[in-house]
Amino acid sequence: MTSEPRAASVAAMPQAGTTQTGSDHEDDVPSIDEAKTASRAAGIATDVPFGSTVIEVRDLGVKYSLRLTRKTTFRQGFRDLLKRKEGPKSFWALRDVSFRLVSGESLAIIGPNGAGKSTLLQVLAGIITPSAGAISVRGRISSLLTLGAGFDAELSGRENILLAGAFMGMSHQELVERVERIVQFADIGEFIDAPIKTYSSGMRARLGFAIATSVDPDVLLLDEVLATGDQVFRAKSKARVNELVKQAKGIVLVTHDMTWVQEYCNRAILLEKGHIVIEGDPADVVAVHQEHSAAAKAKAAEEVARYGGAIKRP
Amino acid sequence: MTTSTLVYDTSVRPGAFGLIAEAFREIWSRRRLIGYIVRADMKRKGADTLLGNLWWVIDPLLQMLVYVVLVSVIRGGAGPPDYPLFIFAAILPWKWFSSSVGDGVTSVTSQEALIKQVQFPKIILPFAAVIAGIVSFAFGLIPLAGILILAYPERISATLLLIPIVAAVQFVFTMALAVFVSSVNVFFRDVGNVARHVLRLWFYLSPALYSADELNALLNRHGLVGLVLNLNPFTALFESYRNVIYYGTMPEWLGLARVLGLSVILVLLTVYLFKRLEPSFAKVL
Repeated sequence: MTSEPRAASVAAMPQAGTTQTGSDHEDDVPSIDEAKTASRAAGIATDVPFGSTVIEVRDLGVKYSLRLTRKTTFRQGFRDLLKRKEGPKSFWALRDVSFRLVSGESLAIIGPNGAGKSTLLQVLAGIITPSAGAISVRGRISSLLTLGAGFDAELSGRENILLAGAFMGMSHQELVERVERIVQFADIGEFIDAPIKTYSSGMRARLGFAIATSVDPDVLLLDEVLATGDQVFRAKSKARVNELVKQAKGIVLVTHDMTWVQEYCNRAILLEKGHIVIEGDPADVVAVHQEHSAAAKAKAAEEVARYGGAIKRP
Repeated sequence: MTTSTLVYDTSVRPGAFGLIAEAFREIWSRRRLIGYIVRADMKRKGADTLLGNLWWVIDPLLQMLVYVVLVSVIRGGAGPPDYPLFIFAAILPWKWFSSSVGDGVTSVTSQEALIKQVQFPKIILPFAAVIAGIVSFAFGLIPLAGILILAYPERISATLLLIPIVAAVQFVFTMALAVFVSSVNVFFRDVGNVARHVLRLWFYLSPALYSADELNALLNRHGLVGLVLNLNPFTALFESYRNVIYYGTMPEWLGLARVLGLSVILVLLTVYLFKRLEPSFAKVL
């Protein structure tokens, strides 16, 4: 595989932190403030020259073809062809998006539903190939997108760990090293050797979280993953995310939780309809976003009132 | 390893040969993952059954039995001598082919959730389906050995050692088809339904239950040209399997060489098609 561009910086990354992911964090969850300062400090502390580019996105565009939507059949295809059905053939989920993430930064991406936030994360993770523009991401990427959806129901938890790890591109050596750690973190007892189909949804989520966070990434992509499991596990997972945030050279976070944005991130981007509306200090960006969503809410309320009124008075 | 540096530039597109070479590099570098997928697949197929993976051995035997009964009724008993072995030599490779193509159809679409979450080379999915088929083929050699030793010891010959060569040619051909159906099925889910019937018809138009000469005569009688038989890669494949297993003679070298040549071209074409379609998988699924 490709050689690590800056090997020295990897060696400098804290390795020990991962061993203490066990139960000792449950009652001792670091406050968000602590994590924030730590994360900012971590960027400076590593011997990566502060300010070196980790992610660069230039004129990025992602186009979806509407003709090739899910489960097309020949019949529909022919019908559309015969009728020469005109209509929107494609739409841009992202258009002309450019930004740069330097080492030590954490970037929040906010915006209303359907703005292209998750698409952007998928592009950064390499899952979706852009239709226009260029991106470059330096370092090992870990994406915590939807958790546990790719499990094989017939296989045991342990087998799924191996399978998922191999899909994520871990080497055999890394997998062997990590399996026990993942099992411990998921903490689902004897169920680990039972088929996934016997799991509760909470157990699934726990295992998914444990696998996804088992890597020590340089670039961490987060898509609202903290709402998993019970109180205890949630605290534990929050602690693990804090830890990853401290270690990672760059973080891109998609969330609707504005307190998270302001606490964790030192920069934010507001996406609307695939375009960057504003980029800058989290407080400013959140303010604009709240202004916009308040306007949208008012508009929606107005429409509800209108239609609701129409129904009431036939 | 996860990719250390991920760079996409839409203004730079690799050419056809670049894409094909990339696909083979991906398969090689992810060989361990392919192994995991195959093992998981075997486990899944054995799960929930009393006899588990013993079915891999029993299944071809039962299938042979069905055809022996069926064909003896139709033929009225007058078939080639040692008829069970005669058809077993064709049923075994066909099971591999049909299950690989059948699994190949859904190999990409069934991993929808994973494809949307994790970046990995999708070409390994149909490839793993074909490899899983090889494993079942290898298991099927156990009952073959059993039949030979117990019922037809006089038919055991050194040409049995040539089975892997015939299988290698079949592998390349199967690979081409599995890659093709797996990528097209992402866009048109009809492929699965079509494939099922096409495979069935294909089997009956191949010299599996009959010898090639017999089938040729039969087809001519019904106005179908023997061309069907000559164009069918499974004519050369089945005849070759039958030569080495049943007759104890050399495979049809010329026929095999033709099938191999065709298959290599098909693999290059279908892998190229797959790689061109791959970027839209995550969007369409």
